[in-house]
Amino acid sequence: MVSSIINGQKVECEEGTTVLEAIRSLGIHVPTLCYHEALTAYGACRLCVVEVITNGRKRLAASCVYPIEDGLEIITDSPEVQSARKATMEFLLARSPDSTYLRERAEKEFGITQLRFVLEPEDRSDCILCGLCVRACAEIVGVSAIDFVQRGIKSQVEPPFLKGSDVCIGCGTCVLVCPTGYIKVEHLSRIAAVHEFPRYGTENVSDHAIKCRVCGAYHLGPAYPKDYEKLFTNV
Amino acid sequence: MKAFRANLLVCAGTGCVSNRSFKVKLALEEEIRRRNLEDEVLVVATGCQGFCERGPIVIHWPDGIFYQRVSEEEIPMLIEEHLLKGRPYKPLMYTPTAVEAPIPKLTDIDFFKYQRLIVLRNRGIIDPEVIDDYIANEGYMALHKTLTGKTPDGVIDEVTMSGLRGRGGAGFLTGLKWGICSKARDPEKYIVCNADEGDPGAFMDRSVLEADPHAVIEGMAIGAYAIGAQTGYVYVRDEYPLACQRITKAIRQAEDYGLLGNRIFDTDFSFGIHVVRGAGAFVCGEETALMASIEGRMGRPRQRPPFPAQKGLWGHPTNINNVETWANVPIIMMRGADWYASIGTEKSKGTKIFSLVGKVNNTGLVEVPMGISLKELVYDIGGGIIGGKELKAVQSGGPSGGMIPKELMDLPVDYERLAEAGSIMGSGGLIVMDETNCMVDIAKYFLAFTTDESCGKCTPCRVGTKAMWNILDDITRGRGKKSDIDLLNEIAVNVKNLSLCGLGQTAPNPVLTMIRYFRDELEAHINQRQCPTDTCEKIAPAPCQKACPIGMDVPTYVALIAQRRFDEALEVIRWDNPLPAVCGRVCPHGCEYECKRATVDTPISICSLKRFVMDYERSRGADVVPKKEAPRKERVAVVGSGPAGLTVAHDLALFGYGVTVFEALPEAGGMLRSGIPGYRLPRDILNIEIDAIRNLGVEIRTKSRVGRDGIGLDDLKKQFDAVFLGVGAHRGLKLEVMGEDKFDGCLDCIAFLKSVNIDRQLNKPGDRVAIIGGGNAAMDAARTALRLGCSEVNVIYRRSRTEMPADPSEIEAATEEGIMFHYLTQPTQILGEKGKVTGIECIRTQLGEPDSSGRRRPVPVKGSEFVVSCDAVIPAISQEPDLDFLPKEHGFKITKWNTFDVDPDKLETSIPGVFAGGDTVTGPATVIEAIAAGQRAAVAVHNYLSKGEDLKDYRVPRSYKKVPRIDLTDEEKSTLRRPDMPHIPVAERKSLFSEVALGFDIEAAVSEAKRCLRCDQE
Repeated sequence: MVSSIINGQKVECEEGTTVLEAIRSLGIHVPTLCYHEALTAYGACRLCVVEVITNGRKRLAASCVYPIEDGLEIITDSPEVQSARKATMEFLLARSPDSTYLRERAEKEFGITQLRFVLEPEDRSDCILCGLCVRACAEIVGVSAIDFVQRGIKSQVEPPFLKGSDVCIGCGTCVLVCPTGYIKVEHLSRIAAVHEFPRYGTENVSDHAIKCRVCGAYHLGPAYPKDYEKLFTNV
Repeated sequence: MKAFRANLLVCAGTGCVSNRSFKVKLALEEEIRRRNLEDEVLVVATGCQGFCERGPIVIHWPDGIFYQRVSEEEIPMLIEEHLLKGRPYKPLMYTPTAVEAPIPKLTDIDFFKYQRLIVLRNRGIIDPEVIDDYIANEGYMALHKTLTGKTPDGVIDEVTMSGLRGRGGAGFLTGLKWGICSKARDPEKYIVCNADEGDPGAFMDRSVLEADPHAVIEGMAIGAYAIGAQTGYVYVRDEYPLACQRITKAIRQAEDYGLLGNRIFDTDFSFGIHVVRGAGAFVCGEETALMASIEGRMGRPRQRPPFPAQKGLWGHPTNINNVETWANVPIIMMRGADWYASIGTEKSKGTKIFSLVGKVNNTGLVEVPMGISLKELVYDIGGGIIGGKELKAVQSGGPSGGMIPKELMDLPVDYERLAEAGSIMGSGGLIVMDETNCMVDIAKYFLAFTTDESCGKCTPCRVGTKAMWNILDDITRGRGKKSDIDLLNEIAVNVKNLSLCGLGQTAPNPVLTMIRYFRDELEAHINQRQCPTDTCEKIAPAPCQKACPIGMDVPTYVALIAQRRFDEALEVIRWDNPLPAVCGRVCPHGCEYECKRATVDTPISICSLKRFVMDYERSRGADVVPKKEAPRKERVAVVGSGPAGLTVAHDLALFGYGVTVFEALPEAGGMLRSGIPGYRLPRDILNIEIDAIRNLGVEIRTKSRVGRDGIGLDDLKKQFDAVFLGVGAHRGLKLEVMGEDKFDGCLDCIAFLKSVNIDRQLNKPGDRVAIIGGGNAAMDAARTALRLGCSEVNVIYRRSRTEMPADPSEIEAATEEGIMFHYLTQPTQILGEKGKVTGIECIRTQLGEPDSSGRRRPVPVKGSEFVVSCDAVIPAISQEPDLDFLPKEHGFKITKWNTFDVDPDKLETSIPGVFAGGDTVTGPATVIEAIAAGQRAAVAVHNYLSKGEDLKDYRVPRSYKKVPRIDLTDEEKSTLRRPDMPHIPVAERKSLFSEVALGFDIEAAVSEAKRCLRCDQE
């Protein structure tokens, strides 16, 4: 067990716990975006930042990937944290000003109604690069049909060499997990090299899908046959 | 070993190699063979000498003579003179700037004299590809001493006590780092040499690997022993072929000698090194990204903790140090921690290698003790600034560092002190900038680099760097806004605090230091739209915008018209101009005379395009009301409601002031209404624009002649906080010829136009009329007379049509309508009978030498007199202000042209708080010049009233929007032509008030706008 101090309150938790898990165990709200409890934490969106104090030094760090340490002091709601999260949301919106999902969250959680800056149209996209699809494809489905390509502001999620992937099984997990609705069912035909997808329940899919390490079920796509079927009836 | 009488050391560093030093080496060997000196002289290829700018470099040993810029052609002379005749060869010696005699010896050259070589002790002395050379210079003795005489903890203590800190830039105490990794309980550990140097202008690690690869290997072996690692990696970027080749070769040699491999020096210590070539991503210099890359994954960083010492390569404890750090280790072990710690400052020990580049005379690689000042680096070693220019700033740490201004040049090279100044030590890039460098442009350059190299994983770095670049790009293109500085600063701080890895955390440094130290320069870009160093070419307005007295953003609104974004075009026009529909009709459009399209075919119809936008948008009920500032308590009186007065009122109302305009005539508009006829400027158009100004809260009191009808100037000064005089120039000048005052039928042009336009006196002045003059007022008088029913209208002008100041389209329309022009004709006297005009006697002229106005002076031709018979004469030669409204003892300074003498900057008259502008200051000029004066006066009045606080800048040409260029089809390119302005037929031009020019329709406007060459863009 390691003990840390969250907002002045002493907390005991098991080694290997992340700061985010420890904070949430106290019922304190921390906004997240690229985090999903069924997937490896990624620490990219920076929305879950908190202040951590180590050796008397205070700094902002993403709580989802910060391992809890003995004596670590954490502040979750200081003005610095608030303004840092708001700034992060502004950055996200600057790239994805048309994303309804982001705009709603920005307004509701951060009171952002106007954008002070946006990127040029060629740098905009509704894909917020949270990487949930990439990790879900690798960790839940187990195929890694998609990954990040390019770098910096040109980053995007694509199958290798921007060609149809021959490992995509067309399960639609990426569609389900995408928070902004950027990946659509229609895209699957572009992601996969083989356009004849196996249907849910066929041997092919269950062979590939793996159990969620949190709940033990096929948590995403294949776990909800109705949603899954619904996805494909409209294709 | 064989001894030679002389060694010729040829530099084989990257700089010299690209200057053909291998060719020089071959030529030397060839010449030595030819002279049979093979047994006496040895040619050795060495690592980088550092003075790269002077390459190829050859050093004669043991004489220590430094030869520079050696070419193959000069080799025979060099060999003959120095090696046969024993006379060092002067032509190839180094002569510093401003010194006449060459300096023969390397040790006497400033560039070398002030350096202290510890890491680079072997540079230029040994052949880096020969392990025996390294061994001969105490090589691998430190490793032997360590393995046979020290415990791992003892090594860590020694390194800790030496004070060595990470040379990659962050400056973490090396010994401490090793200690953490050595304590990790995992039998499998790794060490890594980070040679992924990639910032612009930096080549320290590259040179160390090229000049002395064994020092790095030996350092790594010692580190591995201390930490308990069995395997090491050198991660070097593939763009460094020579470094890759030499380190690979050195590892193989060390393995062959048993200095790497199993049971080194017969101890239990075994260690091997692999070389991994990086594909050239800057972010891979970040340790977690570097490890991901070694593991074969995408080079993207992850948050620390866990630190590499806890969880590194493949999950095992890993210690990563930079090339230069590793190369420091052997000598620390040889000479001891105390010796090492005696060099440098309190917290920064040892030496630091810098690549000194930029605007400095001596470019190259230097190693200096910590604590040396930047001034010594730039002036003593660097030899000062190229061309004797002034130093402006030094950028340390490349794109991750900051600009250190010349005022801080006494700053010592020290981790903490550089950080306090907003920069970082960094890996050692030192870029010197002189007075010709634009710091905004430099910041933008570095940001472009970090934006491009950002991996894109975390939001702040991915988006923030690009957002900052966009703002800086706008600023360098004249689109900067005052609020940009605060926004830039805020984004920079957020990117710094929120980014996942060092790349993002340091990327804002150039921007932050630019704002901190060069704010003036940044503000000049934004507020004056000027780049003080003339670096940002696109900050200057396009020729059309430059030509416009009020700097209208022509390129932007024309581009918007081309894209059918008329509502946005309206906005852009309205931000600049309070009377745009007026200007769209009567402006003499100097912009079109500067239009670059004229070099292809014909200029863009800028004026008519502006009219189109106003007419089109207003026809559908749209208009733009500029934003008003919070109300202020001061009130301003404006005398005269012409374009100058209306503009002052408009702008001051927007600033929040209460404004009252006093107009003598029954209707507002000044010369726009009394002088310009309705067929040229319809009354409803004028009324709309004046009403828009009224709607801002401006009170316009008509029939209120200041000075006569009760209210005097002194009353205004008492009742108002400031006064603006825009009374125009309404008094026509006389011809000064005989008979002018003798006969009825001689009319003043301005009075004539006013009687028609204001008083609706629609009786023709006579049946046959002669108008004297060639300006727009003459054209207005002539065309008005024609519309009143005169049977014959003559225009008499003393020069030729080319010199005529009236708008060409006016002259053309007048000609069409049947007006007769008498060019090169000058009146000599007015003839009359029975008190009435009967004609005007004229004389022919020819053009002589140019006069003060630059136009050729008309010279009368003797004996060419003739008579134009007429019953009315209307002189329209010029006007001057009518200053009768002033009290007798007014105290104003008046010029000899009867205009107000004002401060050219503030437009303030000789009486404080009273300003004047427009024709009343300049004499008769254009509407747009009056508007420009009004805008200037409004700012001046505000600055006068605000008494030094909250000062406003005078307007400068702005670029309001970034409108991308549109691609034209080939057909469009070949067929687009300037459209003719549609006019009502001559036969229908009877009415005084029907507008003659009909304006463009949508398609004509769009296709015309497409012709714009977009000089505002590249």
